[in-house]
Amino acid sequence: MTAAIEISGLVKNFNSTPVLKGIDLIIPEGTFFGLLGPNGAGKSTTINIIAGLTLKSHGTVKIFGHDVEKEYKLTRPLIGLAQQEFNLDRYLTLFDLLVYQGGLFGLRLKESKRHVEELLLRFGLWEHRMKKHQRLSGGLKRRAMIVKALIHQPKILILDEPTAGVDVELRLALWEYLKTLNKEGRTIVLTTHYLEEAKALCNEIAILHEGSILIHDTKEKVLENSQGDLHNYFIHPPEGVAHA
Amino acid sequence: MLNSLPISWISFGALLRREIARFMIINRQTIFPQIITTTLYILIFGFSLGSQIKHIQGFPYIEFILPGLVLMSVITSSYNNASTFLFSARYDYSIQDVLLTPLSYFQMIVAFTLGSMIRGLIVGLLVLSTGVFLLKLKIFSIGIVFLFLILTSQIFVSFGLLIGLWADQWDDLWTFISYVVTPLIFLGGTFYSIQMLPYPWKWISLFNPIFYMVNGFRYGIIGFHEFPIGLSLFILFVLGSALFTLTVYLFKIGYKLKT
Repeated sequence: MTAAIEISGLVKNFNSTPVLKGIDLIIPEGTFFGLLGPNGAGKSTTINIIAGLTLKSHGTVKIFGHDVEKEYKLTRPLIGLAQQEFNLDRYLTLFDLLVYQGGLFGLRLKESKRHVEELLLRFGLWEHRMKKHQRLSGGLKRRAMIVKALIHQPKILILDEPTAGVDVELRLALWEYLKTLNKEGRTIVLTTHYLEEAKALCNEIAILHEGSILIHDTKEKVLENSQGDLHNYFIHPPEGVAHA
Repeated sequence: MLNSLPISWISFGALLRREIARFMIINRQTIFPQIITTTLYILIFGFSLGSQIKHIQGFPYIEFILPGLVLMSVITSSYNNASTFLFSARYDYSIQDVLLTPLSYFQMIVAFTLGSMIRGLIVGLLVLSTGVFLLKLKIFSIGIVFLFLILTSQIFVSFGLLIGLWADQWDDLWTFISYVVTPLIFLGGTFYSIQMLPYPWKWISLFNPIFYMVNGFRYGIIGFHEFPIGLSLFILFVLGSALFTLTVYLFKIGYKLKT
């Protein structure tokens, strides 16, 4: 199977403090991949390097065989990133913001408007389309962030804590939608604190701890190793690193 | 032809449209205040106080200072647009929406620069039209006027982007205006001829880029200059190119944009 994301020897130091200590990871196309770990493990740093928002210290990151730094013009349209922090432009309405976002990824105006309309309806945001982001609730902003990441129909969707702060009803609705996207063939990379979320959605899981991967395997095997409870990895991280 | 455009140029068009939309949405804040301020300058310094001042280099005082007043509005609009946009986009992380796209850093900076320049030029042309209307002036050379307007705006947009990139807090944006730009405007021959200055101030003025802007722009409007126009153009072109190149370079290395 083609590797959607291929990371090898990835190192990131912040002011000589190592944050990622040589990560190797292959995420096959079509996988629903969960990147788990406690705060400060390096999850957000990893996905920001994949998306091109953080500079790596060493190693390589490839998207469908293309280097994210040297061939960024090829890799960036393949990735949609929904970050944990809301970063919606404060001057534009939700509709305009999303249409421009589509344009930034090379969609022509008509095409961009069509995608925006479809996604706003699908995510229950249509009636809020003329609002600026300051007037959207936390749950609506969270949905808007996901729509923004999907606007150019990327092959890889990266979600950093996508359901943080949303109510249970919306969380379940988002789960269903993400499952549908994955079934349609999209590779999804998810970081989450909600272990039940990873259990419900992912078919592969990697656990990051202090900048190293403790384990990377199928969900079933990871669960088996943790005696059915992923919390065990956070409470008692194993000494030996068990790679897939 | 549009159908054959590479994706990154479609992205470029979208970014430019977004930058223009951003300041047009709040035009009561971004366009009109400058016009009101400069019109008041013309009325007070020109018709009221100016009538007490003798001609300068054979021109009525208000005609002599009009080019400087127009350039002041272009400088502040261009700088404010670029610096506040970039700083707020860094502050609320919305700059990441652009950094994630397939645009090259060169294309990003060209779009940001043009977006802010368009605001500076709209303001400048409206202020100039008001001045020309009030003073019943005949423009000496439209081509020279445009050339110096464009160069002035580009240089201060680049300063704005650099400060917007460097700043750690809102105060830093105004520090540059207060401590650098405003003194340079007042010492750059905006309200007087540098021939009126004693030695060595006359020569020190030659190190002030705003002097070359005012000199060229004044020539375009009333036909008077104190320094060769070609050399003024060359100096501003070199400065503008250097600032633009530095901005592209800083984006490329991710200065204060990427950790």
